[in-house]
Amino acid sequence: MLSLLGISAPLLWGQLLIGLINGLFYAMMSLGVAIIFGLLRIGNFVHGAQYMLGAYGAWTLANLPTLFPGLGLPSLGYWWALVLVPPAVAAVGALTERLFIRRVYDLEHAYGLLLTVGLAMVIEGLFNLRFSAAGQQYGVPAELRGGVDAGFMFIPLYRLWVIAAALAVCVATWYAIERTRLGANLRAATENPDLVRAFGVNVPRMLMLTYAFGVGLAGLTGVMAAPIYQVGPYMGQSIIVTIFAVVVIGGMGSIFGAIAAGVLMGILEGLTKVFWPEASSTVIFVAMALILVFRPRGLFGKDTVSHAGTDLANARAGSILENVRLWLVLLAAGGAVLPFLIYPVFAMKILCFALFACAYNLVFGYGGLLAFGHAAFFGAAAYVTAHAAAVWGLPPELALLAGAAMAAGVGAIFGWLAIRRQGLYFAMITLALAQIVYFYAIQAPWTHGEDGIQSVPRGRLFGLVDLNDNLAMYFFVLAVFLTCFAFLARVVRSPYGQVLKAVRENERRAISLGYPTDRFKLIAFTLSATFAGVAGGLKAIVFQIASLADLHFMTSADALLMTLIGGVGTLLGPVVGAAIVVTMQREFAGFGAWVVVMQGAAFVLCVLFLRKGVVGTLEDWLARREDRRRRGRRE
Amino acid sequence: MTAPPEAVIETRGLSKSFEGFRAVTGVDLSVRRNTIHALIGPNGAGKTTVFNLITGFLAPTSGRILFKGEDITGLPGDAVARRGIVRSFQISAIFPRMTVAENVRIALERPTGLAWRFWRSATALDPLAHRVDELLKAVGLLPERDRLAAGLPYGRKRALEFATTLALDPEVLLLDEPMAGLGHEDVDRIAELIRTVAAGRTILMVEHNLAVVARLAGRITVLARGQVLAEGDYAAISSNPAVVEAYIGGSDDDAAA
Ligand SMILES: Nc1ncnc2c1ncn2[C@@H]1O[C@H](COP(=O)(O)OP(=O)(O)O)[C@@H](O)[C@H]1O
Ligand SMILES: [Mg+2]
Repeated sequence: MLSLLGISAPLLWGQLLIGLINGLFYAMMSLGVAIIFGLLRIGNFVHGAQYMLGAYGAWTLANLPTLFPGLGLPSLGYWWALVLVPPAVAAVGALTERLFIRRVYDLEHAYGLLLTVGLAMVIEGLFNLRFSAAGQQYGVPAELRGGVDAGFMFIPLYRLWVIAAALAVCVATWYAIERTRLGANLRAATENPDLVRAFGVNVPRMLMLTYAFGVGLAGLTGVMAAPIYQVGPYMGQSIIVTIFAVVVIGGMGSIFGAIAAGVLMGILEGLTKVFWPEASSTVIFVAMALILVFRPRGLFGKDTVSHAGTDLANARAGSILENVRLWLVLLAAGGAVLPFLIYPVFAMKILCFALFACAYNLVFGYGGLLAFGHAAFFGAAAYVTAHAAAVWGLPPELALLAGAAMAAGVGAIFGWLAIRRQGLYFAMITLALAQIVYFYAIQAPWTHGEDGIQSVPRGRLFGLVDLNDNLAMYFFVLAVFLTCFAFLARVVRSPYGQVLKAVRENERRAISLGYPTDRFKLIAFTLSATFAGVAGGLKAIVFQIASLADLHFMTSADALLMTLIGGVGTLLGPVVGAAIVVTMQREFAGFGAWVVVMQGAAFVLCVLFLRKGVVGTLEDWLARREDRRRRGRRE
Repeated sequence: MTAPPEAVIETRGLSKSFEGFRAVTGVDLSVRRNTIHALIGPNGAGKTTVFNLITGFLAPTSGRILFKGEDITGLPGDAVARRGIVRSFQISAIFPRMTVAENVRIALERPTGLAWRFWRSATALDPLAHRVDELLKAVGLLPERDRLAAGLPYGRKRALEFATTLALDPEVLLLDEPMAGLGHEDVDRIAELIRTVAAGRTILMVEHNLAVVARLAGRITVLARGQVLAEGDYAAISSNPAVVEAYIGGSDDDAAA
């Protein structure tokens, strides 16, 4: 039967085994993420980096003599690592909780995600600096070399051990949380901290230990994975996105769901490698999308509890910094002189990203939706625009429109799928959906894989203006930027924008007034995606390239960072934020790999100290000064 | 069988379980046109859940909900509201970072169809200003019209919520503990308002303040443990021993609230 399909039995069994092992790793990781999310309400994006710490911990112990030659240390093997590393990683987790995570419990969920994204960038960036991106080998322990012949296939002993150990860990954790008093206490603590405190439980310590436990699980997974995968600084980065998708599939608040979904998805991935290898990198994300359509709460989730949206808007109505007409004039004037002050190509980069951030601000700042996949729209439009200009030979304005239309279409679909869920889940879903586009672009022939679409012609605008002239190109970009900026500001201030604001402030109330709130959010999301697409298309024409970096989730993170640094939900915040981040990236470019570390640090610092962003803080300050003056006059 | 025309809201065997816990069990409710009907019962009796079911915020586990004889079971909350059944919330529901006038205007905007016009200027909403002021005046909030709603004292927030609800000119009003947390003056003012707006409307209200219930409601349904315990006018209810035991005698706190 199998041979009829042209597939050999050993291949099938082999992939099934790999799928099962991957699935168990997914399960252990999702378990940690689900515990931290379920009990602490933190979307622990740094989980991948913590997994990497576990693997490096094992590798370090094995290489103590070469790493620290003078100290006469012994080389500690796998079993030592298994005992020592998870508690060590958990301790790092506890410290992280103490120093950082604890500060965002009471804030909007968005901040926890941003903080952990920043921490992940810092940790992975530092490891990249110290060990370089190339992976390290970690040997299988001597006791577990060799294998058993099961008749239909040869099974390496180490893999058998991993299956048994991972299963045991999953079951034990599930039991501890769902079936013991400790677990019951934990759940009670997160639902009603005051009550539990009244019973004499030290809630902060309990939360710290919970976080440490979840992180320790990631560390343990890292140790177990070290002999199977390459140990590298970014080994956790790709897995964390998959883990988020698995948590969504498993279902909100379900520990069992996280385990079952992890195993299922690993096996599904393994089978896909056999029957349709090209689809194996996206199959989990596609499965997530399908499950969202047919079972929005996830496979094992309980009733969908509706979370409040994310209201981070910092604008002060009536502030001079929110006056659209005034700032349109000022931006136009400033924009007109900018290319004579700084290098025009650099100025264009700022404008492209400013538009991207403005588009993002519509959905995040004004829609209250924590979108984390805007790279998909930016990048999809960049590719389509580039293809339209380079292959179809369309003039730049039409190529740009084609890109924007693509972004609008993708945005409408992703938005329709994602608005079924809110808060952190919304972030995880948009992130996972964006990953489909990323992997598609790696494999599709017309996107040219790692190379991207290069040498995109800038062409002649309306057949008249030659855009190869940098100044002509600049003024075209400026015109597009100002038009889109004005339009987006209008949307926010329109009758529709009023309702969008009401939905963000109190969704249940908006529903009770008869507004189909999901549809309002979908419109905001689609508009946002469309303008993110305009930004991506512009970027492709200006820099004459569309590449995988445009689709990478770091581009989504950039949009978030710019909006946050500038001031979420303010008129000028995204523009200021884009200018700051793009400049920062250029200044740090000389430091090579340090860029990621510094950008991660910027995330962390922003969440801790500059939550209102530059513009939000400024508006506050102006308002307070105004207050003081008015009071002074009265006296 | 169609419902008798005078029943505006009717539930038949309405039940809701949360993961096995039966919050509402087999509730048959009939709210007649142009009456004030009170739903009372101790805390946790399932009153808010009944409201959530009627207004489409929760889907019933079983049972049906009829509005003027038409089955509206399973309609989403916004669709129920557009049919003319508008609710208030137990915890005051306002839009905190919008001004008092904007809060009311949001409700007035909905039937105009302007809500989708993302390309229009907000000045398109200016013609609504007059009606906004009328509604604010009715609840005594006109002097506060340009303040942020978040800055109002609690009683005034409830008044604002009430004005916002009235802005939709609903056929049926569901009020969940409108007096909770209010001082004496506010209670009198809101009670008077409810009586005024009740003309030509049907009102179903959950209320712990029995003096208010006695004053306003023509008919009372008592809910206990998710089931209807008794139904009748105030005199009948207050002399019903089962009710006294389950509710009035049992929790003085609630009665005083
Ligand atoms: N979303 C929900 N999930 C689980 N239990 C709920 C939910 N809503 C209400 N309940 C439970 O249903 C019961 C009735 O609650 P509720 O309708 O709010 O009572 P009342 O408004 O009469 O005080 C309570 O025991 C409450 O804990
Ligand atoms: Mg209640």
